[in-house]
Amino acid sequence: MANISDSMNTINSLEEMAEGKTIIHQLHPMVKLVITLLYIVLVVSFDPYNITGLVVLAFYPVILMALAEIPYKPLLTRMLVALPFSFFAGISNIIFNQKLALMIGGIPITYGVISFFSITIKTVFTVMAVLILIATTSLPQISYQLLSIKVPKLIVEQIMLTYRYISVLLEQVSNMYTAYMLRSPGGKGIKMKDMGIFVGQLLLKSFDRAENIYYAMKCRGYDGHYLYAKPDPIKSADWIFLLGTAFLLIMMRFFDLSQIIGSFL
Amino acid sequence: MLEIEKLSYAYPDGHIAIREIDLKINDGESVALVGANGAGKSSLFKLIIGISQIKEGSIKIGDLSVEKKTLKDVRKKVGMVFQNPDDQLFMTKVYDDIAFGPRNELLSDEEVEERVNNALEMLGVTHLRDRMPHRLSGGEKRVIAIASVLSMNPQIILFDEPTSFLDPSARRNVINTLEKLEMTKIIATHDLDMALDICDRVIILHHGSVFADGKTDDILLNEELLLGCHLELPFCMQKRKVRKQDSDK
Repeated sequence: MANISDSMNTINSLEEMAEGKTIIHQLHPMVKLVITLLYIVLVVSFDPYNITGLVVLAFYPVILMALAEIPYKPLLTRMLVALPFSFFAGISNIIFNQKLALMIGGIPITYGVISFFSITIKTVFTVMAVLILIATTSLPQISYQLLSIKVPKLIVEQIMLTYRYISVLLEQVSNMYTAYMLRSPGGKGIKMKDMGIFVGQLLLKSFDRAENIYYAMKCRGYDGHYLYAKPDPIKSADWIFLLGTAFLLIMMRFFDLSQIIGSFL
Repeated sequence: MLEIEKLSYAYPDGHIAIREIDLKINDGESVALVGANGAGKSSLFKLIIGISQIKEGSIKIGDLSVEKKTLKDVRKKVGMVFQNPDDQLFMTKVYDDIAFGPRNELLSDEEVEERVNNALEMLGVTHLRDRMPHRLSGGEKRVIAIASVLSMNPQIILFDEPTSFLDPSARRNVINTLEKLEMTKIIATHDLDMALDICDRVIILHHGSVFADGKTDDILLNEELLLGCHLELPFCMQKRKVRKQDSDK
């Protein structure tokens, strides 16, 4: 139960961080969104075997977290959730790509192993970039900007409501799990034979709750447009940040800065 | 004024929830909507606020007819406080939850601030302004849910079971809060003692129809009428009745 409660607190803590007043929080939301998207595209498009070049891109999340005064722990904890997905995506590379790439201290390193690490690093970087965006920009502002770059309203609404409903789902799980455990003394979690019914009921109950929340939002004028989150026009400082950061990121992507820096040493 | 004419509604599975209801509720009235479970109270609320679509009959809020194209305006005039405040409070701060409606009306930051402060002051909960909704007690959540609707300055507020799941002190606090509100109130409730306390008029729904409609005392003190639609006398009256029977013996 403590885990569920912790998860709910982490979700809320990210939204609270977005209310900060640092230089990054005060940047125009469109600038942050564009830079985040650019960063994700550049990271994902990196050569899967060029880990040294890729690692240089760590500068972006590290510097942003420092400037935005975001504590590392909650962000890293949330990022860990994504790692199993990259693990399973990358493990097949180790199995199927056995071509030898290099030897380190007599240990053979295959291209499969390198691409496994590459996938993991890419996951860490991209998830961190998105988490930093959420921790420095309010959800309505992100939604407004997504709509203004013509992302379909249906998709934006799905993303935002899913985010809102995570806490509903967790609360529902917590209640149902407690009720289940109280009626199965000595049990160690939900039995496999009950899992189907448990998940099915959870889904139905979550639908009901989600529907009520949606109605409550509609009753208070929600129409999915987030017009109230319309920010001020982009200022010159925002342009400088956008162009400067974009230039640096593109340089890192197309030039191996690790080698260039190394050549000076 | 809220005017309902020949309103009927059936759910997609064919279950009839509302049968030919005719009602008029005047400005400033405080009306209790009572009835057994499944009598049609929540269905009626959903129709008034436009969550369910009217297929037969009509509902008018002043000159405004409740239709798909008028829903935005209807929801500015009519607010609804849901039974479970957790359905209504979903932001990270009480302030943001109360500001949600005014922001959707595209009011300026200053106006939003003023609306939020007014709602908090009216209910005497200014100290909760920066708290996290999920950390509040049941009674506090209920009051903040009311504030989140009040901030939209509605002419009519629908309350769905406002005193359910509350301890006696929180219940009394919510009742006092409801008493303070001057706009039209329609309160769906099983709490007949509360209805007796704060409502001038009681409407009994039974199997989707209006079974009785009249002054609170006339309806809630009529045991025969109440028993006929699976209700009973308010607790305070039951007590008095027992005492009277004892003294008669």
